[in-house]
Amino acid sequence: MGTFGGAYNTIAFDANKCDGCGDCMTACATAKVGVGDTARSRIQIVGSADDGFELALCRQCADPKCVTVCPAAALTKNSASGVIDWNGDKCVDCLLCTVGCAYAGIALDAGTGHVAKCDTCDGAPACVPACPHDALTYITTSRIYNEVGDWEDLFAPGLAGCQGCNTELLMRHTLRRTGPETVLATPPGCVPGMGSVGFNGTTGTKVPVFHPLLTNTAAMLAGVKRQYKRVGREVLALAIAGDGGASDVGFQSLSGAAERNEQILFMVVDNEGYMNTGMQRSSCTPYGAWTSTTPVGQGTGSGGMPSQGKTQDAKNLPLIMVNHRCEYVATASTAYMEDLYDKLDKAIAASKRGFAYLHVYSPCTTGWRFPTDQNMEVARKAVETNFVMLWEYNPADGLHFTRPVDDPLPVTEYLKAMGRFRHLSEDQISHIQGKVVENLAFVKQMAHVAKA
Amino acid sequence: MTTATLETPIPTKPAKQKVMLVEGNEAAALGVALARPDMVAVYPITPQSSLVEHVAKLIADGKMDADIVDAEGEHSVLSVLQGGALAGARTYTATCGPGLAFMFEPYFRTSGMRLPIVMSIVTRDGITPQSVWGGHQDAMTVREVGWVQVYCETVQEVLDTTIMAFKIAEHHDVMLPVNVCLDGNYLSYGTSRVELPNQEDVDAFMGAKDVNWHVALDPLRPMAVDPLTGGSGGKGPSTFVRYRKGQCRGMQNSLRVIEEVHAEWAQRFGRSFAPLVEEYRLDGADYAIMTLGSMTGAAKDAIDEARDAGKKVGLIKIKTFSPFPVEALLKSLNKIQALGVVDRSVGFRWNCGPMYQETMGVLYRLGRHIPSMSFIGGLAGADITTGHFHRVIEATEKLLSSPAPIEPVWLNEKD
Repeated sequence: MGTFGGAYNTIAFDANKCDGCGDCMTACATAKVGVGDTARSRIQIVGSADDGFELALCRQCADPKCVTVCPAAALTKNSASGVIDWNGDKCVDCLLCTVGCAYAGIALDAGTGHVAKCDTCDGAPACVPACPHDALTYITTSRIYNEVGDWEDLFAPGLAGCQGCNTELLMRHTLRRTGPETVLATPPGCVPGMGSVGFNGTTGTKVPVFHPLLTNTAAMLAGVKRQYKRVGREVLALAIAGDGGASDVGFQSLSGAAERNEQILFMVVDNEGYMNTGMQRSSCTPYGAWTSTTPVGQGTGSGGMPSQGKTQDAKNLPLIMVNHRCEYVATASTAYMEDLYDKLDKAIAASKRGFAYLHVYSPCTTGWRFPTDQNMEVARKAVETNFVMLWEYNPADGLHFTRPVDDPLPVTEYLKAMGRFRHLSEDQISHIQGKVVENLAFVKQMAHVAKA
Repeated sequence: MTTATLETPIPTKPAKQKVMLVEGNEAAALGVALARPDMVAVYPITPQSSLVEHVAKLIADGKMDADIVDAEGEHSVLSVLQGGALAGARTYTATCGPGLAFMFEPYFRTSGMRLPIVMSIVTRDGITPQSVWGGHQDAMTVREVGWVQVYCETVQEVLDTTIMAFKIAEHHDVMLPVNVCLDGNYLSYGTSRVELPNQEDVDAFMGAKDVNWHVALDPLRPMAVDPLTGGSGGKGPSTFVRYRKGQCRGMQNSLRVIEEVHAEWAQRFGRSFAPLVEEYRLDGADYAIMTLGSMTGAAKDAIDEARDAGKKVGLIKIKTFSPFPVEALLKSLNKIQALGVVDRSVGFRWNCGPMYQETMGVLYRLGRHIPSMSFIGGLAGADITTGHFHRVIEATEKLLSSPAPIEPVWLNEKD
């Protein structure tokens, strides 16, 4: 296992779907002891219809307390399956494990006089198909970590990102995926600000890395890639760039490289502004947002509009890239890492054929004004409200949603999570909600056209 | 690390060369092809366009093995080449005027990264006033950016210097980008007889290619290229200082290397060009005029005529403008008592030509005062004729007996 440790299959429980029927317990007892005595089931549903149901079941913890407290080494974590194995030959029946477990996942089986616990039926748990309401599922929450954990982390530890920033996570995961045969371009912005290219002769990266200009990332990277192609060496040319450089001053070189179908992977980390240099507006900044150059004030701004944040809608850079007919274009979010990983794989593959573009929404705790522990939540709310849509495009299959949100939350659920929208008037909120609906309709239409 | 040394012995007698009739832009393209770059990036602009068209055709016809990148603008042209050079490619492009201005951001950075990119500037006057015609204003505007800049006088010199430029740029004591400046209109479209070196002779002259030994983007030897430097004290700014000092040292080293490369070229190919400063009929002269680029042809004719008329006048031509060849120029200036400097561009700050301004700094080191004055001619494509140069000679001669005027003389003002 790598530095992440293992992540394994697990039995997931949706309390909203459970009616307490007990079919899972019957199935478990039948499978494990041969009789349908629910008292002997290793899965226990507790609670009531009024108060809701809860699950008493072994979580197969990564840091299991039962194993720690066992004086006889009868419980061990199986690193292959992830299951905590109980060894009856060693067990001294002290029951300390039943006290140690916080989930009531291991208990005395009166029928045998020993403790009993879930062993996932060797990967085919009997309880899961027995549930008539699909309240139980046997899933992998994070298989990606198993393989990624074995790959080298190509960023130095201790990079200087803001507290609570997802971009460091994104950088580490992306480079793990692309591997050491990568040349990395990190134009001025948060990524080099974190130390990717280092300071005064140091480096934050174990692959060759450079500062392009803010304006020429795609062009410089194309030159690198072309020369390796010419001499027959397989090298991945990767940019991790900010939205400002990509959508504003560096857009010409980005568009030119995409039009020439240069074989590079261009990832934009979209935190909707020039956050590294003091939170100024970019063309990816959304309507109404406070930035240090679209401040909130008492007076009227340009054109007689009140100074209440940005007065224009965001440029939709990923859709513009679709119109370059790139080999691959996708949007992603740091709150949906499996979706992001799937797209990263496709983008890497596409970059061997031509231009691949990945647009990752990455909330900025500092610039968007929200608590540092809320980053994933903000990112998630952006998707759940359809403020951000997750889709992918390739020329053969067109555009399609990868995580469609059919029943979105009102956009206020997203806006209220951040200080940068604190000042919004009802009119401004209704403008933003209208734009969310309009953008959704627009992308849906593109998806529809692509299918036809 | 390898050193750029001669890999094959120099033949005692230059090989016979093919004779062709070409315009300067085609001569530059032929020189580029002979130097075998890996990567060429192009964006058209008058009067450079036919140069990159010739390069594109050479590649399309299989006469040149290079990756050609039709970039969407000059800014990306140079940026693509920076990436290529960092991956080990020998690289080339050409531009001028507004294209050079648009390219300025990566242009400044090329010398800082010590990338030996060769770029022709098919010189064009600065806009505005709007003009697509020749003049040195574009190249002069960027003379203080750490590129080596050499100016050619003839089409043959364009061809030969274009090849030499790669060897100068890639010399390990230099490692700087080089501009080969050829006058828009007069050299770009001027058609002349040239002798075309043989490929195998040029290969022997060039030696082994080793472009990114000092700085590279290569997974086999990962490094951070251009990390942040600076700060209020300590290692940050001192790192920056060492970079800058190295650049300046590379510039000074290039003066020696330019001379060595020109000497070797003369031995191998039988054509000799003054590498830094050329003296023409300077011995026995009381005063001299100073020129740059293609205007020198007409100037030499005027000198010949003036000498025939008994005037003791000679000519000093600058070939290497950046770095400014101070020591070489001092030797020439030591021979004369008065100087007239003809520029094809203006220096807005000093109300004189830029070459005159640079030369004033050299005159200060002379240790004695010699009167001098500035002439500005050939702007926006204007021809500087022998007639103009006779005016220059007469005005310079007067400096021997009368006070020097402060105002420059604008040669084409009343044409």
